[in-house]
Amino acid sequence: MAKTSQRLLDPHFVSKLARLDLRARLVVDGFLTGLHKSPYHGFSVEFAEHRQYMPGDPLRHLDWKVLAKSDRKYLKQYEEETNLRATLLIDTSASMSYSSHGLTKLDYARQLAASLAYLMLRQKDAVGMYAFANGRGELIPPRSTPSHLRQLLVLLERLEAAGGTDFASSLHALAERVKQRGLIVILSDLLDDTERIASAIHHFRHRKHEVLVFHVLDPQETTFQFEREATYIDLESGDRVTTRPQELRVDYRSRVKGWMDKIREFCVEKQADYVAVSTDTPYDRALLEYLSKRARLL
Amino acid sequence: MFSFLNPGFLWALPLAGIPILIHFLSKRRLPEIRFPTVMFLRALEPREIRRLRLREILLLILRTLAILLLVCAFARPSVQPKAAAARAAAAVAVVIDDSESMGAMDEQGRPRIEGARERGLAIVDAARGGDEIAITTTTGPDAPLANRSGDRVRLTRTVRQIGATWLPGNVEQALERARRFLGRSSLRAHEVYVISDFQATNFTKGAREKVALLSRAGARVVLLPVVSSRVPNHAIEDLDPALRAGPQGKGLEMRARLVNHADAPSERLSVRARLGDALIGGGDVTLQADESRWASLPIDWRAGAGAAAEIKGKAPVVVESDVDALAGDDRRFAVLGAPRRLRVLRIVESRAGEPASRFTALALDPAQDGSGGYVVETGTPASLLGLGRSRYDVVLLEDIASLSSDAEGRLRSFLREGGGLVIGLGPHADLDYYGHKLFPGVVDLALEGTERASEGQAFEIRARAPAHPILEGLSLAVGSPLTQSRLTAVSKGRITSSRAEAIVTTTGGLPVVVAAQQVSIFLGSFSDDWGDLPYSGAFVPLVRGLVDHAARAASLESGDLSLVGRPPTAHLDTAPPGAVVVSGPESYRSQATVASDGSGFRAVADAPAPVPGFYVFEAGGREAAVAAVNPDPIESDLRPVSMESLQAGSPDPPRSILTVRSLRTHLRDMRQGRELWLLFLVLAAVALAGELALASARTVAP
Repeated sequence: MAKTSQRLLDPHFVSKLARLDLRARLVVDGFLTGLHKSPYHGFSVEFAEHRQYMPGDPLRHLDWKVLAKSDRKYLKQYEEETNLRATLLIDTSASMSYSSHGLTKLDYARQLAASLAYLMLRQKDAVGMYAFANGRGELIPPRSTPSHLRQLLVLLERLEAAGGTDFASSLHALAERVKQRGLIVILSDLLDDTERIASAIHHFRHRKHEVLVFHVLDPQETTFQFEREATYIDLESGDRVTTRPQELRVDYRSRVKGWMDKIREFCVEKQADYVAVSTDTPYDRALLEYLSKRARLL
Repeated sequence: MFSFLNPGFLWALPLAGIPILIHFLSKRRLPEIRFPTVMFLRALEPREIRRLRLREILLLILRTLAILLLVCAFARPSVQPKAAAARAAAAVAVVIDDSESMGAMDEQGRPRIEGARERGLAIVDAARGGDEIAITTTTGPDAPLANRSGDRVRLTRTVRQIGATWLPGNVEQALERARRFLGRSSLRAHEVYVISDFQATNFTKGAREKVALLSRAGARVVLLPVVSSRVPNHAIEDLDPALRAGPQGKGLEMRARLVNHADAPSERLSVRARLGDALIGGGDVTLQADESRWASLPIDWRAGAGAAAEIKGKAPVVVESDVDALAGDDRRFAVLGAPRRLRVLRIVESRAGEPASRFTALALDPAQDGSGGYVVETGTPASLLGLGRSRYDVVLLEDIASLSSDAEGRLRSFLREGGGLVIGLGPHADLDYYGHKLFPGVVDLALEGTERASEGQAFEIRARAPAHPILEGLSLAVGSPLTQSRLTAVSKGRITSSRAEAIVTTTGGLPVVVAAQQVSIFLGSFSDDWGDLPYSGAFVPLVRGLVDHAARAASLESGDLSLVGRPPTAHLDTAPPGAVVVSGPESYRSQATVASDGSGFRAVADAPAPVPGFYVFEAGGREAAVAAVNPDPIESDLRPVSMESLQAGSPDPPRSILTVRSLRTHLRDMRQGRELWLLFLVLAAVALAGELALASARTVAP
């Protein structure tokens, strides 16, 4: 059972499945199954509508029918119990189309977003989505109805990576549009000016939003394991650089690490959560980060 | 001048363009990789790209260079040492040492002359068409070179025919012949090759000056030593042809002078004396480093009786020792006279009615019957008027004041005939007479009065030359006291030339015993006038030594010993009845010229003796005399001269080449230029190694 759930969280395995909704369900189910053995043992969304009565709980929420049938005391919970409004921000710039091993960064982000949306809706949280690129974006406002999932998945299905990021402009625009405070989940490779990214996150934080950043990168972007001399073409700008990877590898890695550390630092500074994920990182890590964040929020 | 011996390979030079071609082709076919961002690469680019480009250029240069060097190596590059001069035909003089020492073994255990021939052939092999080559030897006659030729076959035959002779080498003369040959040649380039064991005794100051002269005249002098260090060698240097009585007058003994030319003591040498095939005596001898001394060998004359016929009372004896590096000097020939006692005429003076001292007479012949090995007759100065070589061997003047002019004239004539003279200069001797009248022409010794010891401080006398035959009967070391006796005075003498030698001196350095050719001088009293010497144990051996030295020198002058390379000579007692014919080893035959020499006749062969051995003089079909011919012992010391001493004093010091292989390389370099293919190959390897190192260094560990 544990083995199966692990497979369901493997990005490469999941990517082979055709339907995004099915994929999202499998991921979340696999994740939840695995949770029984996780440090979050005891936390269960299955019992979100019924909770065992504890002394001090208001008796008006007691489920009398269950008491009559089984002589056990459970509390009935209301849908309005949670007020989390989450918006999933997906970067669709051209750089997200990169893949060194079959799964593009956008595919990974798409799958992760679907899984998060499914999980959130199962928890009765309101989920919205914002796909952005080139300073523009398409927004689906947060809702908590089960049918909302379909709308979100349709958007995810038709996302295509193209154009530049212009991260800051897109996010500033969204920050102005999302009035009600909530959770902002960013799925991006953050390939933009770090100062502008910082200012965008600061904008969300200024609006009292909680921010969770999934920094999605391909393994080659961090390791630069190319062997032969080649001309490297920038997916967004089209710039070309001819070089020998083996000569630059160490310096390149050092620079990328410095860049990621800098993003992490300003996220910490802005009290945003930063999670670096690689396209070969299992989804449960991202889901756990989300649940951890949610636990802190509620 | 730089050239290629295989220029055909230079067509492969365009191959050096391959790395350049590959470089540009690989640049053109670079793969393109779409990457999320190049901003990190671009940040690194300026610094890294510069480094990479530099490295790429370096790699390209190294690869191209490696191919260029490789191609050049196959084309056999060469460089001429002195441009045009080296390419031109040269006059080449080859001096090959064929002296006796070249018959000694070299470090490889083969005769040195073989190594010399090998080197000579290498020089002939390397000859070019226009070269003029002359070959000469160090024992050859001093005449213009006859074997001057450019004919390689003839030169090769000449070199192959050269063998070690029994003669000492005359390098100076050989170099002079080479110089004359070069002077006559019309060719501008001159080369001189000296192939030798470079024996110090042959490379005299004159020879060294000739080397410098040749070098200064512009000839390229190359020294080719066949050995590199001194080889230990012992030799029988001389034989005393006079047999003498053995210890205490019993038996007979002969004396051989043995020498150890080595830096360490010799092993025990076994010395044997043969008369014909019969062994008649011998003994074992151990010599110190560089020691030369007379050794007495007990002889049983009867053992050889009948083994070989004596010729006119003389017996041909061969003395041999163990064979070592140079076998030729381990055997020596001598013609020994039948053993006889030395005849001594002792001249004394009676003074103031006192009988003359008899100490010397007793020392030489204690029993007064000749059993001590000496027949002693005593006379006065007037007895000298009847002095003759046929009656006496040695005259002993014992503290004689002076001689009449007649007696002195007779004494001088006796000395000329080969007699010996011993003089004791005691208190009665007129030193002015001796110093100014008798000594000139006899011994180079000046006399300056008498030196008396201070009261209670007697002179102590010490051996200055302990190995000298005069002291043979005494076991002494340098500086050791000769006797415990007290000498209160000595005649003060001063040696004025190297022909005289102080054998014994006082502690203060005054000569007490002086030796010269045929003459022994004792600068003290043979009686007890000046101390108690006659009562000491050293007196008898000292007196006998003085007499023996004088007698032996005299006998050597008799001329019965001849050297290889000179005509054999013999003394005939009577006039030969007809022509004298000399026959010897290796089919030697020659006529001899006979002339009167005062005491008989002296026969000298017309042709020089080519090898050591016995040479028989026949007159009227009968054997008249026999002469022993030996090699010159000067060749025995196998000590090479230092190359530095031969290279000094030349503007272009002669080059020294030790091995045949190095010589061949040198000749090839000289004739064809110095080949550089190995250098090019090494450089190509270095370039490739550098390329590999640079190429691997660029790969950074992941």
